[in-house]
Amino acid sequence: MNGDDPAGRPTAPPGPLEPWPETVRWQPISRDLIWVELIRLGIGLAVALVVLGAAWALSGHWLLGAAVGVALLLAAWRTITIVRAVRAWGYAERDDDLLVRHGLLVRRLSIVPYSRMQFVDVSAGPLERAFDLATVQLHTAAAASDARVPGLRPAEASRLRDRLTALGEDRAEGL
Amino acid sequence: MNPFGTPPPEEQPGPPGGPGPVTNGQPWPPAPGHGPPGPPPGQAPAPDSGPPAGRVPPAPGPQPPHPGAWGPVPWGPPDGEEPRQRLHPLSPALHGAKSLVVVIAGLSWSTLNRVGFGWFAVLVAVFVLGATVLSVVSWWNTGYHVVGRELRVHEGLLWRRTRAIPLERLQAVEVVRPLLAQLTGLAELRLEVVGGGKTEAPLAYLGVAEAAALRQRLLAVAGRAPGPAPVAAAGVPAQPAPTGRRLHAVRNQDLLVSQLLTPQAFLLPFGVAFVVAQFLSEGSWSFVAVASTLTAMFGVVLQPIRRVLDDWSFRLDADGDTLRVHNGLLETRVQTVPLHRVQTVGVTWPLLWRVKGWLRLRLEVAGYSAGEPDDRNRPDRLLPVGDAGTGGRVVTEVLPGVRLDALPGTPPPARARWLRPLSRRVVGAGLDERVFVARSGLLTRRLTLVPYARIQSVRVTQGPAQRRLRLATVHADTAGGAGAAAVDRDLHDAWELAAELTARARAARRADPHR
Repeated sequence: MNGDDPAGRPTAPPGPLEPWPETVRWQPISRDLIWVELIRLGIGLAVALVVLGAAWALSGHWLLGAAVGVALLLAAWRTITIVRAVRAWGYAERDDDLLVRHGLLVRRLSIVPYSRMQFVDVSAGPLERAFDLATVQLHTAAAASDARVPGLRPAEASRLRDRLTALGEDRAEGL
Repeated sequence: MNPFGTPPPEEQPGPPGGPGPVTNGQPWPPAPGHGPPGPPPGQAPAPDSGPPAGRVPPAPGPQPPHPGAWGPVPWGPPDGEEPRQRLHPLSPALHGAKSLVVVIAGLSWSTLNRVGFGWFAVLVAVFVLGATVLSVVSWWNTGYHVVGRELRVHEGLLWRRTRAIPLERLQAVEVVRPLLAQLTGLAELRLEVVGGGKTEAPLAYLGVAEAAALRQRLLAVAGRAPGPAPVAAAGVPAQPAPTGRRLHAVRNQDLLVSQLLTPQAFLLPFGVAFVVAQFLSEGSWSFVAVASTLTAMFGVVLQPIRRVLDDWSFRLDADGDTLRVHNGLLETRVQTVPLHRVQTVGVTWPLLWRVKGWLRLRLEVAGYSAGEPDDRNRPDRLLPVGDAGTGGRVVTEVLPGVRLDALPGTPPPARARWLRPLSRRVVGAGLDERVFVARSGLLTRRLTLVPYARIQSVRVTQGPAQRRLRLATVHADTAGGAGAAAVDRDLHDAWELAAELTARARAARRADPHR
């Protein structure tokens, strides 16, 4: 479960969102994010099961029992997608821009030039902190720009943030 | 650490000596009887009554904070700096008059029924008087001045606020004159900066000549490249250059016809006929039914009527490298946009306009789109109606080198018909020399032009159905508006397109003098 291999181990064969394989070296994000997401899912599932279970026990209607089953099935499906989604998430730093790819059902690849950066967010919720993770988000003037990299080690997050801000200042441009 | 050179405009407690700040030993604001720095009340100000030319800011760049001049507020104008200007003395009266409508609507008819007309009038008078007094207080405490390359607006009595607007970031300037302001010779100056949810720092109201001079001056400061700036250029232009070069003027007749050629106007006769037929067959004319029907119809035709009122006597001028848009009947607007601030240009061919061969042009400027869902307050018009030749000329003027009738574009591959069986032929995308071209829309055809230099980021997305067909969509995001999207490209083409867009955007940014 150690996904911090800095060399960026070959993740998957070049998929539809891994263009330019010869110039882009994708960095995976930490696999610990899987646990963070699974714990989040588990909490949600536990709440749903308690509510549904209590209602089922009190009313005894078969539909509520079916709902419990559906909730369990959904959770199982979600577990698989979480594992795959975290593995699919990747980022790459090129000379002039940051590439971020993510998503399984709808696959997304963002190319954001450093010079378009307006500001950088580094955030970490309680669960992420417990697993020693942080999220870096790059904001541009366009609302549609989508460059969020979760599941980074704090040191890597700081490095990325500093690099982004340094490069952004180097190539300072207005709009 | 504060990343900006100036102290943050925190809320400061009021000065200990009451609201009488002192500048240079002189009271600020000066008493109105002793000649305010603005124009004299009640008459049109002289053209040079703007900021005095002799007191230009001495040096470019942010001024060092100068503590102590205004109580605890650390940014009082130091010696030799331009004094703060007041808004026009008639502004409170206008604000009060505007509140009249709100007060009457707020009190509503039921109150009128309950208390009788006399008391109603008294209530209205009390509320309007209160609003006017508040406006006077706010007017008294509002001031603005240009400091170096910033416009600073000070306002508030209890909650002081100073907003410093770096003029390099200025996107567009708009001079708006509602009906009342037109009658009194006043105007409101609105500045657009990125990041504001709505129009920031509206200066309401200024004298017309003063507003024009200030606009000219702000644009002169904003247009200069950063670096050593000639001091002389910061002075007030002797005359607010009025027209520039006329690009196009829309005939009001065309505007009326174009708004008659809308679905709303087309459906109106059918609606009227239906209602009349129903009334005739039932033989009953209840007041409520008639009134509600009329209200509904008014709601339907409101949009075309608004468009006619807003776009009346539409004129487009080019003045140096800025674009100036005049429009409006009851409320006139003059919008000034530096050409390098244009983020996207949109061309629309509505279905019913095709009989005339007309089109409509829009432009997007950063700063407008986010907080103004109301289409009406988004001054994005470039041409409300025009034929193909006019549209082509205007587009070439706004985006030099772009010819509307000779734009490249290729449709998606044939297998995309499974996703868009009808519109596959009309969507498309292409790379022109300076702009990215994206077409969409089956009935209302749309064309979006994004200059490479304005692209903020490039995205490639692929949904599940697209993955099955090996297609992908390429988005070019811009700071204003929705950007442009090349939908359903072949996957390989999409990668190439994304790489090409990224490379061209980078090259265009490097070559762009307005970075």
